[in-house]
Amino acid sequence: MSPFFILFCLLGQPPADSWKSHWAAQPTARQPLPSVKQKDWPNARIDYFILRQLEEHELQPSPPADRRTLLRRASYDLTGLPPTPEEIQEFENDASPEAFVNVVDRLLASPHYGERWGRYWLDVARYADSKGYVRLQEEPRYHYAYTYRDYVVRSLNADLPYDQFLLEQLAADQLSLTDDNRPLAALGFLTLGRRFTSNKHDIIDDRIDVVTRGLMGLTVTCARCHDHKYDPIPIADYYSLYGLFASTREPANLPLIGGERIKPVFYGDRSEYLHKREELEKLQQTKHTALLNTLRADTSRYLVQVLEGRKTFLVPMPAETTDVRPTFVELWIDYIQGASRRQDPIFTPWHALAVLGLEEFSQKAPDLLRELSRRGPDDRHRVNPRIVNALDSAPLASMADVARTYGELFISVHNQWQSLLAQDPRATGLADPDEEELRQVLYGPTGPFAITSKEAVAAYLYDARLNTKLAKAQNKFDLWLMETGQAPDRAHVLVDAPAPYEPNIFIRGNPDRPGPIVPRRFLSLLTEGPRKTFAHGKGRWQLARAITDRNNPLTARVLVNRVWLQHFGNALVSTPSNFGLRGERPSHPALLDDLARQLIDGGWSIKDLHRSILLSSTYQQSSKDRPECRQVDPSNQLCWKMNRRHLDFEMLRDSMLWAADRLDLSMGGPPAPLTGSTNVRRTIYGTIDRLDLPGMMRTFDFCSPDTHSPGRFSTTVPQQALFLMNNPFVLEQAQALVGRVKDRAKPDTAEASPAETIARLYALVLGRKPTASQTVRALDFIQDDASWTELAQVLLLSNQFLFVD
Amino acid sequence: MDTGSLNRRELLSRIGMGMGTVALTPLLRDAGHLQAAEATAALTPTAAKPPQFTPKAKHVIHIFLNGGPSHIDTFDPKPALEKYAGKPIPSGNLATERKTGAAFPSPFKFSRFGQSGIEVSELFKKTAESIDDITVIRSMYADIPNHEPSLLLMNCGEARLPRPSMGSWINYGLGTENENLPGFVVLCPGGLPVQGSENWRSAFLPGAHQGTFIDSQHEKIEQLIEDIRNPRISPSRQRRQLELLRNINTEHRSQRGQDPQLDSRIHSFELAYRMQMEAAEAFDVSREPRAIRELYGPGPQARQLLVARRLVERGVRFVQLWHGARQPWDSHTDITDQQTLARQCDQGIGALLKDLKQRGLLEETLVIWGGEFGRTPSVELPNPLIGLQSGDKQGRDHNHHGFSMWMAGGGVKGGYVHGATDEFGWRGIENRVHVHDLHATILHLLGFDHERLTYRYAGRDFRLTDVHGSVIREILG
Repeated sequence: MSPFFILFCLLGQPPADSWKSHWAAQPTARQPLPSVKQKDWPNARIDYFILRQLEEHELQPSPPADRRTLLRRASYDLTGLPPTPEEIQEFENDASPEAFVNVVDRLLASPHYGERWGRYWLDVARYADSKGYVRLQEEPRYHYAYTYRDYVVRSLNADLPYDQFLLEQLAADQLSLTDDNRPLAALGFLTLGRRFTSNKHDIIDDRIDVVTRGLMGLTVTCARCHDHKYDPIPIADYYSLYGLFASTREPANLPLIGGERIKPVFYGDRSEYLHKREELEKLQQTKHTALLNTLRADTSRYLVQVLEGRKTFLVPMPAETTDVRPTFVELWIDYIQGASRRQDPIFTPWHALAVLGLEEFSQKAPDLLRELSRRGPDDRHRVNPRIVNALDSAPLASMADVARTYGELFISVHNQWQSLLAQDPRATGLADPDEEELRQVLYGPTGPFAITSKEAVAAYLYDARLNTKLAKAQNKFDLWLMETGQAPDRAHVLVDAPAPYEPNIFIRGNPDRPGPIVPRRFLSLLTEGPRKTFAHGKGRWQLARAITDRNNPLTARVLVNRVWLQHFGNALVSTPSNFGLRGERPSHPALLDDLARQLIDGGWSIKDLHRSILLSSTYQQSSKDRPECRQVDPSNQLCWKMNRRHLDFEMLRDSMLWAADRLDLSMGGPPAPLTGSTNVRRTIYGTIDRLDLPGMMRTFDFCSPDTHSPGRFSTTVPQQALFLMNNPFVLEQAQALVGRVKDRAKPDTAEASPAETIARLYALVLGRKPTASQTVRALDFIQDDASWTELAQVLLLSNQFLFVD
Repeated sequence: MDTGSLNRRELLSRIGMGMGTVALTPLLRDAGHLQAAEATAALTPTAAKPPQFTPKAKHVIHIFLNGGPSHIDTFDPKPALEKYAGKPIPSGNLATERKTGAAFPSPFKFSRFGQSGIEVSELFKKTAESIDDITVIRSMYADIPNHEPSLLLMNCGEARLPRPSMGSWINYGLGTENENLPGFVVLCPGGLPVQGSENWRSAFLPGAHQGTFIDSQHEKIEQLIEDIRNPRISPSRQRRQLELLRNINTEHRSQRGQDPQLDSRIHSFELAYRMQMEAAEAFDVSREPRAIRELYGPGPQARQLLVARRLVERGVRFVQLWHGARQPWDSHTDITDQQTLARQCDQGIGALLKDLKQRGLLEETLVIWGGEFGRTPSVELPNPLIGLQSGDKQGRDHNHHGFSMWMAGGGVKGGYVHGATDEFGWRGIENRVHVHDLHATILHLLGFDHERLTYRYAGRDFRLTDVHGSVIREILG
């Protein structure tokens, strides 16, 4: 484990006192409206806060944007799509004071709203359709990731209260869902991260990061190796959360989801599906049973290996029949370490003996065992008498002897159970409770053997050839299923494991160096009074409740800030995922507070938040430059105008298809690659492959889906221009656009005049009429038929198309 | 453009996101007031920027023999292995990815080269002709004997978590000298290496700093660089288009007052237009005189080495050359494969060093040669179950405990050997150089203190070397 934070760690204690007075730690509250001089300007609460600060700097707000500009701004802002020429005309003709209110309501009710704002959430959630790099045989795709994406779009469209939205994403499996179990897909928020070639510590780290930075603006993963340097987040808190996530499992068979009680397993030929599935399961089951029995019979060797400790940077490798599987040794280590935390009656002697030095071992072991054997069955630290007897009668010179003795006893219990099963296949356990206790380690739901066939394949527990065969069989089945297009939706869920994981602190983040045990519980800096331990089976529900608690000072502030950022292009807190002591202070603290409290008190409605913002005078200002204001506030932190922004990757691609009238507006379902020209769906439905993100997406500042993204860059580089000038996708849209304009002319008496065609192009691409001189310039450009497509492309490349005033 | 007072906040908001997660600490010395030029630099993240101190190297060519070239068969002779050939190595075998057995002396002949008399095997005899310009590091080590984490460590300074690659860091730090070409070019004939684009990702740095991947198996410019040519219209018609576009954009801008975003985008089309010409020219090796082409020799390796020279000549900051898709140098079963591979690139590498030198480019171009790790001095044991090993062929397993890399030009010593492995080539024992130390040294040669080239992300300052690394002073020329 690379100790990233040693540097931080060398410096002092976390500044708990500074946190107490930190702005983001204060409770949120409605704020009194500041008094302002220009009393006729404010239109919403927001405006008082903005205007007050402008007046303090002796600045005036900008005049309102014209109607066409405002409509284009609001349409892109809420749906990611431009208004139609007809919508523009309608709005321009509607002089009623309610006109813009109606526009906002219409846009918020549009299903495209969820597609736009869902995409912002997917950035927060580091959403992708694949796992990143995987080794050898592993399938890199998440076949059902799209159900999470669709869940997000649906929830935003339904204005699901934000606290419920988070609750479902953290703990949908712990809610009592009715027949409609589609919210299970919400758990993709946790499960759809990178897989770090199956390194569980990194997978958990990624989940802690997306939860804490994404939802609360806290950089908790800074405390993986040592106490956080700036914020009062001790390393113990990191491992408290680690323990919560380490107590979960992803089931081998993902649950079917749907709105109806009966969920079909397959929409196509059911018997074909069942036949294929049975074939697969039969193969898996036979081989899995054989594998587990081989491993059980090999317990002595594995327990001796346990003494060697963990392998740092364990990468599962194909193995031969006789090889010890390091990944299985790891499972034993986990189990035995956990046993020490559980005061487990079987491994208590192991842990007691393990502290003896080699020189004193043979001398002290007998006394120690005698002491242990005196503990009665009701002793809180009781020991299993079978194991003590076995140890007592073996010559013990070192832990290796102890491990072998354990192994032999386990193997004899295994054999005993197998012969009993041979006689009575319905046997449920061994008669002797002490033996049964031992058997549970080998066969129970919490022991190292409680792994699925899929997990065994991922860990390369089978012989190399068989491992490959099993992996291929599963992949082949999954791929067949997806390619039929008849697969019902499933959710990438996680559930709590049969037994909870009791976390140790890993000293310097190193799992080889377990430190003190810590309870699974919430962060100390956000808890008043004593902290409750998360209950197993309900822990993530409790976590979600703590995050969305009315008194949590961070969650609502962080959301309001993210929403503000997307509406204005400037955030109130310019470090949206760091509200800690090293984050930036808000430009308008009272406004942020007021909006955060309003969100909570109003039942966490995100659409209400949009409404408050869009209906403000602040939002409706013109974006035109005013040098006298720029002198005072060049970054427009005071909001003396609206910020001009350019379309992001999704808006740009969607808008070109839209202008060409080729945009397929159907919603949801499995993704398809964005490269090539056959995919004309909205960009949010394109495949996001972590391993091989198309160059054009990175070029246009699509966020890296490797980790939570606080926001996107907004760069201008020549590769973007190259794409727009030369990529066949752009050329096709330009051509289709011309076709559309000319087609429209056909039913008319004669062909439309060139000037009319130009006017139509301007209307479709830029939402306005060309000026006389612009028409002349365009007419001059036309020299032959091909020029029309070239002209259409120029309009699609223009700054007026790309920028939203 | 108004040069008044762009403060840090504005700058950050322009760079993107409208937030201060971007810490340009080393680059922007004055956080309070930045000059307009710097603000533009932030808007167009690839613009040239000054290093922290005057460097020797301005460009890097990283020749990546992916899969693990054997140090024992190339740059680190181990005659002691002869004595034990076929017998156990007396010091025992170290743990590597797979099981290995007896001592396996190199089947290749070593000779002394140059004034310095450094020993190099016949595999790289052409390269060795320039040995007096080369520092061989024989004491490299990494952390783990598996490809994936070692590739990421070598490229990104971190074995698993998503971090920016070295090429991205260098472009972030220095920008490009030529806006008409990408600043970080990755060439690999035939497809992606193991771990794919993660090897050259920009992670949390702006996407513009990510490596531009080019499948150098192709020769035609259209197949080499995405969107470099318009498939339908001629350059002259495109020129007309861009003129119309500029007119429209200029008019649009004049109605909106000052806005660097608008200027910058107008400019970007001009740059792109020129990039079409210049990139096509840069990749067209047929423009080289025949003598030069013959010097490099035939085949895709030679071609991409020659392209690399043409790119750095045109100001590209970082060129990474991979030997091929997946992991060609991964010789588990037959070490003589390395001879075949070396034949494909040795002449070209030798030619590159001479060619750079004769043009005076070697002084400012750091050439790095190596893989993600080396190979074992012991023979890999047969493993019929995974279908590896067959017949009488013999290969070597991965070895991260000790391996060789070399660097030339860009301010490193020539004719110098740094560090050593043990008697058998298992482990670096003298002046050990970790990958982090190598990175620190590379950044130093480019004019950066590796501890000060940082980027604020997720609440802290990140760097290529994490919290490790020290500059190898001994190899600085």
